[in-house]
Order: sequence, then C-alpha cells, then structure tokens
Amino acid sequence: MGLNLLAVAAVGGAGAPAAILQSGVSNIVVNGLIISALYAVVAIGFTLIFGVGGVLNLAHGASITVGAFGAYYVARVFGMGAWAGLVAGVLVAAAFGAALYLAMIRRMEDEPIMVMILTLVTAVAVEQFVLTVEGSQPKAIPALVGGVTRVAGTNLQHNLVVVFAVSWAIILALFLFVNYTDAGKALIATSMSRKGAALVGIESDRVNLATWVIAGALAGLAGVFLGSFQTAHWAMGRAPLVLSFTIVVLGGVGSIKGSVVGAYLIGFLEVITTRVFDPRLQTLVPLVVLLLVLLVKPEGLFGRELAEA
Amino acid sequence: MATTDAAAPESAPDVLSTDDLRVTYGKVLALREIDLTVREGEVVSVIGPNGAGKTTLANTVSGFLDYEGSAEYRGREVADRSVSDLVSEGLIHCTEKRDLFGYMTVDDNLRLGAYRHGEDADERLEYVYDLFPALAERTEQNARTMSGGEQQMLAIGRALMGAPDLLVLDEPTLGLAPVILEDISDAIEEINDEGVTVLLFEQNVTFAMNHADRIYLLENGEVVREGSPGELRGDDYIRESYLGG
Repeated sequence: MGLNLLAVAAVGGAGAPAAILQSGVSNIVVNGLIISALYAVVAIGFTLIFGVGGVLNLAHGASITVGAFGAYYVARVFGMGAWAGLVAGVLVAAAFGAALYLAMIRRMEDEPIMVMILTLVTAVAVEQFVLTVEGSQPKAIPALVGGVTRVAGTNLQHNLVVVFAVSWAIILALFLFVNYTDAGKALIATSMSRKGAALVGIESDRVNLATWVIAGALAGLAGVFLGSFQTAHWAMGRAPLVLSFTIVVLGGVGSIKGSVVGAYLIGFLEVITTRVFDPRLQTLVPLVVLLLVLLVKPEGLFGRELAEA
Repeated sequence: MATTDAAAPESAPDVLSTDDLRVTYGKVLALREIDLTVREGEVVSVIGPNGAGKTTLANTVSGFLDYEGSAEYRGREVADRSVSDLVSEGLIHCTEKRDLFGYMTVDDNLRLGAYRHGEDADERLEYVYDLFPALAERTEQNARTMSGGEQQMLAIGRALMGAPDLLVLDEPTLGLAPVILEDISDAIEEINDEGVTVLLFEQNVTFAMNHADRIYLLENGEVVREGSPGELRGDDYIRESYLGG
C-alpha cells in the first residue's frame, strides 16, 4: 500500500541526493510529516469525488499516472524543465478528470455500479496504454529542486521539502476554498443535499465537473511528486488508489479534514512501523488499525460530511 | 391565525399556469389533465389526501420532473429552463422534506439560499431573522440539530433568501406542533403581504382554507374541485370528507 518514500529516499531515488534518513525520532517526524502531506493530497481528490458525486472513482490512480507522464513528457522529452513539467502534469490530469466526467460519468450518474465499472476499465486502459507506448521501463522525472539540508540530524532533500510545502499549500488553499467561497460552499452543499442545492439554484452538473477537475489536478500533482523522487511507470497509480481508499474510509468518506487526519495516521504508522518494527509490516499495520477503527466507528473518524472539512 | 377569503383581482397576470398537465412514473399516470392558474399576488392552495399527487405537482411546476401538456411560469414553459434558471427567475420551491444542508449552520443555509441573488443578501437575511426570531437566536447552530418546526422555518427562510416571485410551499405544516403552526401561518401571511405569490400544497385543509384565495382539490392525480375557500366550505363533499361534516 505504501508509496515506499522511505526506501527510495534512503537509497536516493531518481537522481536524488543522499538519504534523508539517519535514525531516531527526528527521522520519524520529518518523514512522517512529508509522506503524510503527499498522502493527504492523493486522498482528498478521491474523497471529494465520492462526497460530492457519490462516485467511487477507481480511475483516481490513473489520474496520478496521467499527471506523472504529462510531466515526464514536458520536462524530459520536450526538455522544458521540472517546473514546466509540474504545471503540465497538473493541467493534463485536470483535463483527464474533466474528460472522464463529461464523456462517461455524467451520462451514468444514476447507475453507481456502472460508474464504478467504467472507472475501473478506464484505470486498466490507461495502464495498458502507457505500457504499450512507454514500455515497462520506469521513467525519471527531474526533481523540482536539488540539494540537501541537514535538519535535526536528518538529511533532508530539498525536493521533498518542496513536496511538503506545496502539498500543504494546496491543502490549505482547498480548505479556504470550500469554507470561505461561494463556489466552495456550493460544493459542500451539493455533497450534503443534491436536491437542496438545486433548490437554491446550484447547478450540480457544474459542481461535479469542478470536483472532477480539482480531484484530477490533485492526483496529477501527486503523480508529478511521486515521479520526481521515485519514477513514473505504467502501474504507479495502483498503490495510491488503495492508499486513498484506506485513508478516506479511515478518516470518513467525504470529509477533507478526515482525509488529512487519516493521511497523517497512515503516514506515521507506516514510518513508525518501518523504522521501529519491521519494514515488511508497513502495509499490514495501517490496515489492522483501519479494521479496528471501522469496528468501533464504522463511519470513520470524521463521518462523511464535507462541511467538517 | 389570520383568515383570507378574498381572491386577488382576476385581471392580475398569471404567474403560473398549467394546461392538460400530465406526469407519469413509468406506466403509472401520476397526474392527469391538471389545469391550474396562479395569479400575481394570490395565495393558491392545492389540497388533497396523502398520495393524491400534491408533491408530484409541486416538483413538476418547479422544474424537477418531466411532463406532458403545458406548464408555464411567467409565460414560458417550465421545461424550457433549468431548475437553476427558474430559481434565478424567482420560482423558489420549499420542499416537503425541507432538503436543508444539515451539517451547515443556520446562517450558512440562509446565505446559500441567496446563491442566485447575492446582491441584497444582507438585507434579506435581516428580513428572515425578523420573520423568524427563533432562527436569529440560532445562527451558528447546525440545521440537523434543530427541531422540526425550526427546520421548517429555516427551509422557508432559505427560500425567501432567493427573492421569490412565486413561492411553492409543499406541506409546510406537516408534523408541526400547533404553536409552530401559528408561526408558519403568520409568516405566510406576511410573505404574501410583501407581494410574494404563494402556491401552497397542504394536507391540512383548515390551514389551507385560512390562507388561500383559491383552492384546488386534488384526488388520485386529478383536480376534482376548485373555487374560493367560501365556495368549497359550502360543498357537501368537501365538508364531509375534509372538514369533518
């Protein structure tokens, strides 16, 4: 389930400098903070689509792949640099989300099983397309920034600091958007009551489209980040999809706040399990905690309302 | 409770009119041959027993259901416009289920009511709080934690925030305590006095008669009686079936 940030960072992935980890609590805290922020970005898009449109988007991982390869093409193939790649990855994944909604989801909105199947087929199709065009060889996306800083006894890649900072900037921006803008409140309102939203003149079609675009952009951003400290490859969307599902169910389906808290719980659990116990348990422990939480609080930690974002 | 028994002038323009309106659910004909007119400034009530088709009719004229025949709001077919366009043009529907945003505060619910009419939102918010002082005391309370009566006030208040030209109220008294009924009754009077045309769907015939200028009785999906409250009070069938003899 985990994205193996720790393993990659420790050995220096994708042209990255030396390991960011040495040992001790500071390592756990630093790595937990960074990986969890990325997990939150991955999960928020997934929960937005479920919360607003009631769609279990199994193509969420495919959006991550699309974003990563969009960035790879612009940054590496067209040689336009890492930051241009970042912008391209986000835009391409956002457009992919919009296309998914307009071409398929909107037509099948009232058939959730069919929608789930469609998103699953899309996910497989994207994987096969990338595999056919690019082959199984992983592709490196250049790091957004190079260099390493030593913080509290931990070597910290500047690239990962950027991942953390941008992830949190996006999370906060999204929080402000949904809580303090008319468009954001319309999104929340639609998630609570589609009929109620229609009664006040909110066009749910537009809100749904916006949600798919936002979720696509977030997934694209995550794809670029993953590709920049790991690599981009045809099956890179699978683990984040499972991760999103776990985080969202743990935090409460449809809750942005729940996704952030769920991401941090899962992220720190993975880091602690890897560093303190056994890396082989990295995937198992969060799932056990998820089961325990669901047995005690089946609605997840924060229920399902986006209002609590 | 105020009593109204004087129809608006017949010369007043039609706000809403239906002609041979029919609605089907699959093969079931839910509404048939509905001819209904609501003139500007009127309170028109559609009464009838549970299952008569009142909510179906309310949803149809508000743009939520497909129909055959004609339903015109301000001279244009309802079906030619989206629900959000109808809301923009002042056709505001307050549903039987209220459809509030349960995890939002009273204030947020009301402000969202002005989603299409944000320009005078503060002024209208003040008006709603004056109309329903109970809401003014609970501005930060989540809608889902309120009593049924308070939720009904909030639903009507949210509808008023949309600057209605025609307010469609579906069963606003359903399940409410008598003391709350009085508040809702006063509010409907005041809303109408402010110039808002009201289409009131009600199972509580006495309540409807006390407010309506004209009444339509709906049974099994068709209009079986229509007239002023005075005329219907004199109708044996209405008296025996709906007014307890």
